[in-house]
Amino acid sequence: MRRAALVAGLVVAIAYPVAVQMTGYTYFQTVGFLVLIYATLGIGWNFIGGWAGQFDFGPHIFLATGAYTAALAAVHWSWSPWLGMAAGIVVSMVICALITFPVTRLRGHYFAIATVAMWMIAQPIGATWELINGSRGLFIPLTPATSSWEAIWTLGWGGRSKAFAYYYVALGLFAAAMVLAYRVDRSKLGYYFRAIRDDQEGAEAIGIDSRVYKTLARCLTAAVFAAGGVIYGFWALAVFPDQVLEMNWAVLPMISTVLGGIGRLWGPLLGAFILIPISQVMSATLGTGPLAGRGLDVIVYGIIIMAVAAFRPNGLLSLPWARWFGRG
Amino acid sequence: MRRYRIVVPILLAALVVGLGLERAKAQAPKEVLIGVLLPLTGNFASLGQQYLWSNQTVEDIVNNDYPDLNVPLGPGKGFPGLAGAAMKLVVRDDQSRGDLARTLVEQLITVNKVHWIDGEGTSGNTSIIQPVVEGYGIPLSCHPCASPTLTEKGFKWFWRTGPHDRVMVDSVFQFLKDWPKHGGPTDLKTVAVFTCDNLFCQDNHKIALEHAAQAGFKVVADLTTKTGATTLASEVQRLQAANPDVLFFVQYPAETAVFQADAKRAGWMPKVIATSNGAYSDQTWLEAQKKTNGGAAWLGRDPTAIDLASKKPSWKKVNEIYKKYSRGQEMGELAMRQITGMLWMADTINRAKSVDPAALNKAAAETNLSPEMLIIDYKGVRFNKSNQNELATGVVTQIGWDGEKHTIWPWELAKQAGYTPMYPNPSWQERDAKPKPAR
Amino acid sequence: MTELAQAVANGLQMGLLYALVAVGLAIIWGLMEMVNFAHGEFMMLGMFGAWWLSATLGWDPLVAMVPVGLAIYVLGVATYSQLMRRVQRGDAFAQIFATVGLLLFLQNGAVALFTSDYRFVSDTVLARLSGTQLSILGVKLGVPLLLAGLLALVLFIALYLLVDRTEFGLALQATSEDRDAAMLVGIRPQRMFAVAWGLGAALVGIAGVILANFFSVYPQVGLSFTVLAYAIVALGGFGSILGTLCAALLVGVVQSVTVVYLPPAFKDAFVFGSYLLIGLFRPQGLFGRF
Repeated sequence: MRRAALVAGLVVAIAYPVAVQMTGYTYFQTVGFLVLIYATLGIGWNFIGGWAGQFDFGPHIFLATGAYTAALAAVHWSWSPWLGMAAGIVVSMVICALITFPVTRLRGHYFAIATVAMWMIAQPIGATWELINGSRGLFIPLTPATSSWEAIWTLGWGGRSKAFAYYYVALGLFAAAMVLAYRVDRSKLGYYFRAIRDDQEGAEAIGIDSRVYKTLARCLTAAVFAAGGVIYGFWALAVFPDQVLEMNWAVLPMISTVLGGIGRLWGPLLGAFILIPISQVMSATLGTGPLAGRGLDVIVYGIIIMAVAAFRPNGLLSLPWARWFGRG
Repeated sequence: MRRYRIVVPILLAALVVGLGLERAKAQAPKEVLIGVLLPLTGNFASLGQQYLWSNQTVEDIVNNDYPDLNVPLGPGKGFPGLAGAAMKLVVRDDQSRGDLARTLVEQLITVNKVHWIDGEGTSGNTSIIQPVVEGYGIPLSCHPCASPTLTEKGFKWFWRTGPHDRVMVDSVFQFLKDWPKHGGPTDLKTVAVFTCDNLFCQDNHKIALEHAAQAGFKVVADLTTKTGATTLASEVQRLQAANPDVLFFVQYPAETAVFQADAKRAGWMPKVIATSNGAYSDQTWLEAQKKTNGGAAWLGRDPTAIDLASKKPSWKKVNEIYKKYSRGQEMGELAMRQITGMLWMADTINRAKSVDPAALNKAAAETNLSPEMLIIDYKGVRFNKSNQNELATGVVTQIGWDGEKHTIWPWELAKQAGYTPMYPNPSWQERDAKPKPAR
Repeated sequence: MTELAQAVANGLQMGLLYALVAVGLAIIWGLMEMVNFAHGEFMMLGMFGAWWLSATLGWDPLVAMVPVGLAIYVLGVATYSQLMRRVQRGDAFAQIFATVGLLLFLQNGAVALFTSDYRFVSDTVLARLSGTQLSILGVKLGVPLLLAGLLALVLFIALYLLVDRTEFGLALQATSEDRDAAMLVGIRPQRMFAVAWGLGAALVGIAGVILANFFSVYPQVGLSFTVLAYAIVALGGFGSILGTLCAALLVGVVQSVTVVYLPPAFKDAFVFGSYLLIGLFRPQGLFGRF
């Protein structure tokens, strides 16, 4: 049953953009792209937040690190985004390890504010550092590829094929993050993370160094955010601090994960699958017409979020799905 | 648990219906659809709402008959070139977020099938949607976007009727340089540059440093602050210690209010405060200054001589229409730039006699609007090779004791305005002592 | 030397205002351990309350403090009883989720009601004093800010006495430390939480009313203050009201002294940098009990 659902899901995920391409509404591919990107980031955040149980409000500094690394390499040395992604992941993980280990002494809310602190320190660096062009940011030149192989190597799709292609790039990234999460979840590492979350003293008593494993969990988060940042940067063709250090890059993956079910493998996807389309629909229905500009779209969005939180504080995956859809 | 069985399908159905409605709208014939993408909520909402009101004003002007309104498409209903088709705004709110802007613009193009896109209102997010719109090949315009880079990247489909920062900052320093020859002070030698830290602010910062050097000023302080400052007391302390003759100041209204309070507390007022956009372009800030005299003698760049433009009958009429949408707020200079740009767009669509993208772009390139048709005093609208209006000018204005802006540069316009610039900046005591224009 | 003294004096004055913004958070987050992303939105509502009463009825913020504080108290209690009480059943992370929703709702509710215009509350008692200064040994202190700071201090001390010296305060602390034990001695935890939310919201609302004298009012005003408030509560240490006051003063001084000598763009970075630095030596904040 599980396997059948997984295969069915995979078929739908792969066939979806093809079906959309025929109708010409490429926008729906882009929504799919966005859902997958946020779901991927949510999976990333699940490592530190869901499994290791630490409040991390500043994971998007690694999104920025990844995006900037790849963009710099592309602008100055015309590196392929894939090489840039590799570099971005390494750089983010190293920076993460260096800055996270010292603050793992802090626990609970104190740790949370330490991650906010890193974000607040990253902001002026992004806005004033001349190497990355300060707040004016880096613009990635759009060079249309001549062959489809080249396009895959440079991610250089333009026009109507772009949404189609980027959907699959995001799907690939999502699958990779999913596999990583699945393996970590089943491994000793995942067990250590959960042990720290549930009872830090107990975990230490059986010889788990909580500081090392918290740092490791956050570095996994950093790696996923960096990869997501690279794809986002090349999709938007622009990386500037107001953009990549924006609070929503931390908040949306976080609330997607919480909505779906924190610490659950499929939680981030379910959450993003609901939140992202809703905000699009809101903008297209309540944010337009004679009532445009009154913020109604976001007001209703806020109400939906509060309602879900009030009725299902443990996320939607905690609902008795199996009972509804039968066991067979 | 039973209710979830109902709730989940309802939510899903709502999603499908919501998206389906959008398709239905797109097929409605006989309407020219203008996709409007703006930051209506979030950090840039105060800008977004002014642009929305401006766009609604233009929609009103185009679709209704204003027989004696001398602007493009003022008289008559709809577009005569398109057999009287009406103009319809399709508004989207991107919450000041780049990823939403980037997605919604694609929605406007592929789902709503709009014929023209206006947005995003801020230079940063506009630079994100530019490549998307370019890829699909339909016209895009952002008139109040001031970053020079937007028209320097070789995009074929992006149009801007408003002046960019280089033109506008340049006018401030031109004025300061030539001021001594026109009865101004001869002892202005040093300048301090005090700016915020986002894309718009730093564009201005960079250009100001270049122009200050060219105009022969010595830069004695160069401070950048983070947007959202809760206090600027120490910054004021540093500026005061540097003692510049001229303070070049680029901050948003909230930070400008903080600066004013802290400068007053420190009892500091430089001889000249020159600004660029930010608070100086914000109508609500200007209105508030009338109660305190806090803005008197500040000077700044404007795209238009508002004191002269507002004498035009068409300006007054457009302002009346604007106030219907803005809940009574007067039309500020940002709104004027936006309305001018949108009226130009309407004129272009009308001349193209088609909503075919290529025809629209061709009509845009052939634009040659005369200044009489504008509510703003550009020398007209005509585009250079990079689709920037080369007749968009900058003027320098100063806030008088009456709380209104007065043109002080270029010199021939200043003569028409008949206003003598105040110098030096009055002290805080003098500001308190003088009668306030409002109440 | 005067330069430094002036910067310290400026910092202390601002610190008192920060303390007032932070103390509401110190109760909801610091004492009751509930995350509230919408803290700044309550402050924003307070500021709009001050502006609205001033624009329509001509009330001075010093008067408006009372009705606005009461209204936001009710709103805070309602937030707990209608929303957070249910959310509390779940994981702590659910509180983030719920209060992000609350933030979006309140912030854009203000957009719907008041538009995103910048509003200025001028012609108040404090604003009319804005030119007056006290000069002590060459250090200038603005009288309005000083008065606002004193007001903040009075409110702060009253709150400290309430939490640390009254039976009610003890009940509040008992609830935060052990809900079950508190129930055994006859305290109703949910009522305590509701009062804490009301009190926290009302305090930051009153802070908003006072701040409306000095800052422009707009729907997105909350964030810059809230971020500092979070740093202050954590720096002061959880569960310590006096710690919050000391941390707020410290943050004010760090901000203003560093900016005199270093790039101002890094102002908040210095504040958070000092939090990290202090955290390495005092993981429980300066005066934290847990």
